[in-house]
Amino acid sequence: MRPSIETEFAVQDLPATRGTWKLALFLALTALFAGVMLTGVSAWFLGAVALAGAGPAAFSFNFHVPAAFVRLFALTRTVAKYGERVVGHKAALLDQVRCRSALFSAMAASPTTRRAGWQLADQDRLSDFIDDVEDVDYARLRIGLPVKSLLAALGFLAVATLVLAPLAMLPILLMLAATAILAGRLLPRTRSLWGRVRAERRAAARQFGMALASSVPLRAERRWTEMLDAGFDRLAAAEAGRLSSRRDMAILDTAAGAFGPLAAACVLGTAWALGYRGEALLPAGLLAFAWLGLGETVQGVSRMLVARVKEEEARHGIREWTAGSQLSSGEPSSAPTAVATLELLRMPLVAPDGRLLGGTVHLDLQAGRPVVLAGPSGCGKTSLLKQVAGWLATPRGGQVLGDGVPLEPSARRRLFHLGLHDAAVMADTIRENLFAPDASDRECWDALEAVELDGRVREAGGLDAWLRQDVVSLGEAQRLNLARALLSPLSVILLDEPTEHLDRRQAARIMDRLIDSFSDRILIFSSHDNAMLHGDRRVQLVRLGDPHAPSAARGSPSSAPRRSR
Amino acid sequence: MARARVFGRNGLRTVLAWQVGRLVAKLALAAALAITFGRMIEFGTVAMPAVAVALVALALSAAAGLVGDLRLASAESAVAQGTRDDLRAKLEAMEARAVHERPAGALIAGLQRHPESLAALVVGHGAARRMLGIGTLLAAASVSVVSWQAALVLLVASPVMVIFFVLVGGSIQARAAAQEKALGQLAAQFEDRVRTLPTILASHGIDRETDKLQARMSAYAASTMGVLRVAFLNSGLIDFFSSLSIAVLAVFLGLGHLNLVTLPGFHDLQLWQSLFILMIAPEFFAPFRRYAEQYHAKAEGEAAAAAVDEFLDAADQAPAAASFLPRLARLTAETGMCLPLKGLVAVVGPSGAGKSTLLRRLAGLEEPHGRLPEGAGTGVDWISTDIAILPGSLAEVLSWNMPGVCSTRLLLAAGRIGLLDEQSLPGGLEARIAAGGGNLSGGQRLRVAIARALLSGRTILADEPNAKLDAVNAGRVRLALFDCARERLVVVATHDRELIGCADTVIDLGHDRVSTSEAAQ
Repeated sequence: MRPSIETEFAVQDLPATRGTWKLALFLALTALFAGVMLTGVSAWFLGAVALAGAGPAAFSFNFHVPAAFVRLFALTRTVAKYGERVVGHKAALLDQVRCRSALFSAMAASPTTRRAGWQLADQDRLSDFIDDVEDVDYARLRIGLPVKSLLAALGFLAVATLVLAPLAMLPILLMLAATAILAGRLLPRTRSLWGRVRAERRAAARQFGMALASSVPLRAERRWTEMLDAGFDRLAAAEAGRLSSRRDMAILDTAAGAFGPLAAACVLGTAWALGYRGEALLPAGLLAFAWLGLGETVQGVSRMLVARVKEEEARHGIREWTAGSQLSSGEPSSAPTAVATLELLRMPLVAPDGRLLGGTVHLDLQAGRPVVLAGPSGCGKTSLLKQVAGWLATPRGGQVLGDGVPLEPSARRRLFHLGLHDAAVMADTIRENLFAPDASDRECWDALEAVELDGRVREAGGLDAWLRQDVVSLGEAQRLNLARALLSPLSVILLDEPTEHLDRRQAARIMDRLIDSFSDRILIFSSHDNAMLHGDRRVQLVRLGDPHAPSAARGSPSSAPRRSR
Repeated sequence: MARARVFGRNGLRTVLAWQVGRLVAKLALAAALAITFGRMIEFGTVAMPAVAVALVALALSAAAGLVGDLRLASAESAVAQGTRDDLRAKLEAMEARAVHERPAGALIAGLQRHPESLAALVVGHGAARRMLGIGTLLAAASVSVVSWQAALVLLVASPVMVIFFVLVGGSIQARAAAQEKALGQLAAQFEDRVRTLPTILASHGIDRETDKLQARMSAYAASTMGVLRVAFLNSGLIDFFSSLSIAVLAVFLGLGHLNLVTLPGFHDLQLWQSLFILMIAPEFFAPFRRYAEQYHAKAEGEAAAAAVDEFLDAADQAPAAASFLPRLARLTAETGMCLPLKGLVAVVGPSGAGKSTLLRRLAGLEEPHGRLPEGAGTGVDWISTDIAILPGSLAEVLSWNMPGVCSTRLLLAAGRIGLLDEQSLPGGLEARIAAGGGNLSGGQRLRVAIARALLSGRTILADEPNAKLDAVNAGRVRLALFDCARERLVVVATHDRELIGCADTVIDLGHDRVSTSEAAQ
C-alpha cells in the first residue's frame, strides 16, 4: 500500500514551526502570568502600604521593590501579549502555508478531482471549502494556545491556593468541575447543531442552484417563488440552529464569568476563617485578586468550544476532497515517453457517474489520422475521453494499448494531454496560463496566433499580463485552452468539445490549423456539432450513442467520413 | 444597510440596555468586593452588608450578562432574517433575465453569508461602538465617586490613546494598501488553484503549480505578517495603557497611603477606596479592547453591506429598457393578435430576431407583459432545456406540476415521448433522476418538459423544443406538440422545418409577416 498524504495533512505538529509555537506558548504564559500578577501584586502592595501607613513603619517601608515589580509586570504583560499575538500568528501563517500545500497535493492526488463535475469550480462550494480550510488553519491559534496557557495558569494558582488556603480549593474545584461538566454536556449538542447548520446551508445552496439555473421556466410556470422559498426556509433553519448554539454558549459564558469573583471570595474567606488577620491576610489577598484576574480569561471558553467543533466539522468536510489520494510514486521507469499508435479495445460507453450506457468502442489510432467522436450530448463522449486519459476508471474489459503494450491509467495520465471542455483560467500571467514553461516566446505567440488570441493578448499587455477567469469570455477561455494543447509536447492529444463556444467559421479555421499542426501526433476530439467537418478527408468520424445503431462504433480505418444529418 | 439598521434598532437598544445594566452591576460588585477585602485587611472586620451586596451584584451582573448575550444573539438573528427576507422579496420580483445575468455561485454564497456578517456589524459592532462612550464614562464616573482626580487621570489617558489609535490606524491602512498594491494578485491564490485544479492536472502543470503556490503563499504570509505587526499595535496600545494605568495608580495610591506624597485624591484614602480604583481602571479600558476585537467583524460586515446594497439597488432599478423587438413580435406580445385559442403557432426567424423574447413576454416575464388570448386557460407549461428538475424518480419528476396524477397517465406520457426505453435511464418510471437533471442530456430534459406538458393540459410555450434531439425523438416531439395543439394553444420558437410545416400559424419575425395554413382557416 502506498502511504496516503491525507494522514500527513492531518498532522498539525509540523517540525519547522514547533519552535515558533513553543515561543508563542511561552509568551502567552508570560503574558497571562504577568497580567494575573499585576492585579495580585498591586492589591497586595496597596494592602501592605495601607497597613504600614497606619503605623510607625510608614517611613521605613521599602516601597521601591513592590512598585518596581508592579511596573515590571505591567510592561511584561504588554510586551508579552504583543509578542504572543505576533509570534502566534507567525506560527499559524507558516503552518497555514505548509498545510495548504499538503492539502493541495492531496487533492491533486485524489481521484475525486478527476471525476466528473469538479464542484469546487462553483463559487458557493468553493467559499464553503475555504471556510473549512480556515477553520482548520487557525484551530491551533484559537484553541491550542489559549487552552494550554489557561490550564497552566489554573495549575499555578491552584498550587498557590493549596499552599496558602488549601480548603479553598474544594469549592474552586467544584466550580471548575461544574463548568467542565457544562462544557462537556454542551459539546455534543453544539456538534449536532453545527452539523445541522452546515447541512441546511448546503441544502439551501443546492436549492438556490437549481432555482437560479431554471429561472425562466420557473417564472413562466409560476413556481419561482415556491422554489426560492424552499431555499430560504433552509437558510432560516440554519439560522435557527446558529441561534440555539449561541444561546448555549451564552449560558456557558455566564457560568464561566462567575468563576473569578467566586474563587477570589473563597480564597479570602477561607484565609479569614483560618484566622489570618492584618499582614498575614495579605498573601491571601494577592491570591484572591489573581483569581479575579484569571476569571477574565476563563470567559473565552465558549469561543474555544465553538472553534473546536468547527474544526472537527471542517476536517470532516475537507476529507471528502482528499479521499483516496495516493502519492504518485513508483512509476515504472521503463514506461514509454511517447507512443506512435494507440488501440482502444472494448472501451465501454459510460455515463459520468460510471453507469454503463451500453455499447463499446474499438479504435485504431495513429499519428496524423485524427478521430472525431461525434454524437448527441449525454452519449458518453466526455467519459470515453476521460477513460482514455486515465481520469475515469475503465470498467472491466476495456483496454488501451500504446504501440501494442497495455498502458495503465497512471501512465496514460502522464503521456496524454487532455483538453477539458470546461477548462478554467488561472489567476496568473498569460504565459503561466499556457502551461508551457519550456516554450519560447516565439512558440507562445505562434500558438496564440493559431487560436486567434494574439490580438487580444497584445491588447492586454503581452505574455506577462495578468489574467483572471472573469475577464475572459467563454470563447476566449476555450481558445486559450486550445493554445495549451498546441504547446503540449505530448504525443497523444485528447480534446473534449474543442469548438464549443466558438462561432462556426472561427471554429473551422482554428480546427484546420490544429489538425495541421498535430500531423505528427495522435489526436482525438469530441464534438456534438460535426457539420463543420464535412468533407475534411483527414478526419475519421466515429459516431457514438445513436440509439438505433448503438452496439459498437467500429472505428475501422475506412477514411470516408460518414455524413451526419 | 439602512434597512438592516432599522431591523436592528430595537434589538440594539435592548442589547445596549442590558450591557449597561451588566456594567453597572459589575461596578457595584467591584465596589462591594473592594469594601469587603479592604475592611478585612485594614480593619480586620467583615462588612456583612458589603458581602451581601457583592453576592447580589454578582448574581445581577451574571443575569444581565446572560440576558444581554441572548438578546444580542436574537437581535443579530432577527437582522439576518430581515435582510434575507428583503433579499428574497427582491429576488422573487427580479426579472428572470436579470437573475440569469448574475453569477449564480457568487449570489448563493452571498445569500448564505452576507446577512450574518451584516447583522454582526449592525448589532454586535454597533453595541461595542456605543459602549466605547457609555462604558468608559460610567467607569470614570464610578472612580470619581472615590477620587475625581484618579478619574481625571484615566480620562486624560484616553485622548492620548485615541491619538495613537488614529496614528496606528493610518499606518495599518498604509501597510495594507502597500500590500494590496504589491501582492494583491496573490491574495487568493490557494482558492484560485483549488478552483482550477482539474485544468492544472489536465495540462500537466501540477508540480510547477504546487511549487509556485507554496512560494506565493509564503510571500503573501510574510507580507501579511508585516501588516499584522502594525495591526497588533492597536491592541498592544490598549494593553499598554491599561497595564500602565494600573501600575501608575497603584504606585501613587501606595505613596498616598504611606503619606509620602500628598496629592489630593490620592491621599487619605481608605484601602477599599484605592482597591476600588485599581479594580475599575481595567474596566475603563475594556470597551476599547472589545471594540478593537471587532475589527474583523467590521471589515466583513462592511463588505457584506456593500454587496447587499449593490444587489438591492440593482434589483430596484427600472428593468433594463425593453429589448428591441420587431413590430410584429411587439404587436403579438402586447395584444395576443395572431394567437388562436388553440392550435400550433410557430415563431420563426433568424437568431436574435426576438423569438425567445416574444415567448418570455407572453409568459409575463418581462415588461411590457404580453397577453395570451382570453379563454386560453390559466398557466403555461414552458419547454426548454433549462427546466427545473428536483431529484427523485422519473415519476416524481414528471408529475412535478401535477402531483397525484395517476400512474397510467404518467406511463402513457413518458412512453409516448420515448423516456421509458432509454438505456441511460434504467427502471422506467422508477429511474433515479439527479438534482437539476444532472444525469439527463439536454434532449432528455426537453422530453421531460414535453411529458409534463402532456399531463397538464395548459398552454405550451416551447423554446427550440427539438433542437438537441436525434431524428426519432424529434419526430416524437413534433407529434406530441401537434396532438396537444388540437385542444390548446402551443407556441413554439423553432428552426425545425417539419415543425413549421405542421403549424397552423407561422409568425415570421425575419420577414415581418404572418401566414395561416388553410386547415386552420
